[in-house]
Amino acid sequence: MIGALIFLRLTSLKNLLLSRFRRLKQPKYLVGAIVGAGYLYLMFFRRMHAGRPRGNYSTTLAGTLPPDLLPTAIAIGAFILLVIVFLAWIVPDSRAGLSFTEAEIAFLFPAPVSRRSLIVYKLLNSQLAVLFTAALITLFTGSWSYLGGNALTHGFGWWVILATLNLHFIGASFVMTRLMDHGITPWLRRFLVLGLVLLAVLVTAAWLWRDLRAPVSSDLANFRSAANYLDGFLATGPLPWLLFPAKLVVAPFLAPDTPSFLLALGPALVVFALHFLWVLRSEVSFEDASIAKSEKRAAKVAAVREGNWRAASGALKARKGPFHLSPLGRPEIAFLWKNLLSTFPLFRPRTFALAAVLIVGVHRWLARDPGNRAALVVFPLVAAIAAAYTIFLGPQIARQDLRSDLANTDILKTYPLRGWQVVLGEMLTPIAILTGVLWLVLLTLLVSFHPPARFAWVTPGLRVAIGLGLFPLMPAVCALQLLVPNAAALLFPAWVQTMRDRTERGIEMIGQRIIFVAGQLLVVTLALIPAAAGALALVFATQWLIGPIAAVAVAAAGVFVILVAEVACGVWWLGQRFEKFDLSSELRP
Amino acid sequence: MIEVSGLTKRYGSFTAVHDLSFAVRPGEVLGLVGPNGAGKTTTLRCIAGIIPATAGHCSIAGHHLAVDPVGAKRTLAFFPDEPRLFDYLTVRQHLAFVARIYGVENHEAIAEPLLVELEIADKANQLPGELSRGMKQKLAIACGLLHSPQVMFFDEPLTGLDPLGIRRMKDSILQRARAGATIVLSSHLLHLLEEVCSHVLILKGGEKIADGTLADVSARFSNGEPGVSLEEIFIRATGGSET
Repeated sequence: MIGALIFLRLTSLKNLLLSRFRRLKQPKYLVGAIVGAGYLYLMFFRRMHAGRPRGNYSTTLAGTLPPDLLPTAIAIGAFILLVIVFLAWIVPDSRAGLSFTEAEIAFLFPAPVSRRSLIVYKLLNSQLAVLFTAALITLFTGSWSYLGGNALTHGFGWWVILATLNLHFIGASFVMTRLMDHGITPWLRRFLVLGLVLLAVLVTAAWLWRDLRAPVSSDLANFRSAANYLDGFLATGPLPWLLFPAKLVVAPFLAPDTPSFLLALGPALVVFALHFLWVLRSEVSFEDASIAKSEKRAAKVAAVREGNWRAASGALKARKGPFHLSPLGRPEIAFLWKNLLSTFPLFRPRTFALAAVLIVGVHRWLARDPGNRAALVVFPLVAAIAAAYTIFLGPQIARQDLRSDLANTDILKTYPLRGWQVVLGEMLTPIAILTGVLWLVLLTLLVSFHPPARFAWVTPGLRVAIGLGLFPLMPAVCALQLLVPNAAALLFPAWVQTMRDRTERGIEMIGQRIIFVAGQLLVVTLALIPAAAGALALVFATQWLIGPIAAVAVAAAGVFVILVAEVACGVWWLGQRFEKFDLSSELRP
Repeated sequence: MIEVSGLTKRYGSFTAVHDLSFAVRPGEVLGLVGPNGAGKTTTLRCIAGIIPATAGHCSIAGHHLAVDPVGAKRTLAFFPDEPRLFDYLTVRQHLAFVARIYGVENHEAIAEPLLVELEIADKANQLPGELSRGMKQKLAIACGLLHSPQVMFFDEPLTGLDPLGIRRMKDSILQRARAGATIVLSSHLLHLLEEVCSHVLILKGGEKIADGTLADVSARFSNGEPGVSLEEIFIRATGGSET
């Protein structure tokens, strides 16, 4: 029977890989794959080939881990593992449920397959995911080469840790289910586990009190002395015994070379095998919880595929409207009202107003004392970072527009509205959210940023004029930015649909996302050039006549007109596209 | 009230609907029938202004759909087979949203009896996720009826409804037709057509096979045999296959 299950897994894997390769025939996937592969090579593989990364703090500070610190490192790793294991016995409150897909449940649960065979199938199945995760972590932690070893020992080391943890979680969930069957509620179990942990802590503390002196300043003078003290601490009382199995599990990962790795691998695999046997011999009914888990996951995947992140997070609750929606008035406002309801209730005018009051209030309070000068530097710094994030990533995060409503286009198109009205209405919510954030950023810069002395020509009056001049431009800038992803949603809906589906993975998806963000930045930069040129020309031409402050105001007005014109053209054009849009034909293969 | 002439919809080289012409007057209920892939839903989506026709002319309540789409849409309501709702709006919020879109000033006075009629008044503050499939369908219908449309398009209106819901839906369609509405519905359920429709239009492969009153179409395909069922007529008309 297990042969059939392995066949299922391997055939599914083979078909998945084949379909991934086949879809590379489509240019969007091929280009995405090339860009994604290039990105991964530049970010990770080249670094691994080149050995240690340049300028990495660990290499400059310590080279590789000195051999005498290895036991301490292993003990620290084991301690972390122990904490994770402890949480696995405390946190869960539901019955054991193995992760099966809906198809697996439909085919395997009614089939003459023993419960043990299903467990073996799931365990083997999960190893693929664990291997993949281990490979990913190895890629992302390539810079941890100061720990010694190489990519292979780290990769297999991660696999041993993750696979054993995975088994432990399953085994723990089985035991907890059995406890529930015996009438021990989750809270009683937590109480018992916490009691046992408390007992271990008390015994250890008593032992430490007897055998270990309190740390003195020389113990914490440098890293090595602190490590030595910690070593003594972790070797006291029952701690070495408690940490022993966990140490065996982390030892392969921390092995400094291949022979040490092979030596450490044996005991680690014994711990793994014991866990495997433990799980396999557990006779626990997991079917009900597995079905519930599978349905929940399927609903979540469906919600994510529809771009409904709030539903996917399970946080969907009826909520009061953000403002009173009168039945008469501009219909575009109805979209703002609707889409604000789809976001977190944080994005409301009163929240932004409160944040503004806080920013100004805290800054003024800190500014009263000259000793707070260092703290005040944080304000413009944080504002600059927030501005960069909002401008570069904001339009990708604030998606309460056409991107989220693509599935509803049939209904939107029956409304008695022109295409541009729907497009504008749909864009209003992310415009409002991003504008609110950027206004807070501007306010922060306005109250906290003072140009250095060499920019003395930027008088306080001019600074305020520039700041105030930028405020009305923000909605237009945000609208300009949002035109690009909304245009992509209408022009390349299949592309946007695939990218929106976070369940889709692979280097081609990484590449597609990189291309998309780069394309957006390019288009927005090009669109801002006429406005920037206009601003410079206006300032240059008028400052001699009306002074710099008035020139800034004139330039801001000019830029505003240019940006609004660009946005209006973009919205009108997108509206035309929306009127001709047919999602069903766009998504045809 | 609905006038369609020469309607054609092509997707690349594939023709979904070809040179289709028909008219539906106020008080009439036209049933669109045909095998899978006959072009029923495409026809409905074209004449509801959801997708542009490749060629042809369509007029809704006197408004040329291509020239005055906003005017035409103000008079119509489209009910898809799968209710399309906004997950984060409650029943009442859906109605408030639709009221603003259509500018229905006294929407609360209209909405309350509608909710009662559709038996979802007690669900007014619930999200679609908390409603059954039938309840969602009812909410979609309430949204569509809020602006008192003169023209209604139903795509498989009975999908997902329980027997009582089916009875009420049929009554509701007939009641609105009697009140002067022009109704087009597409369905595979021939008994629905027999009970509700005054006229029928049979499509196959995107082309019109027959249209007229039920009696006319029956007479055409019964070959003089008495008591031929609509199912038999449908099979004879479409040749018993999809293509």
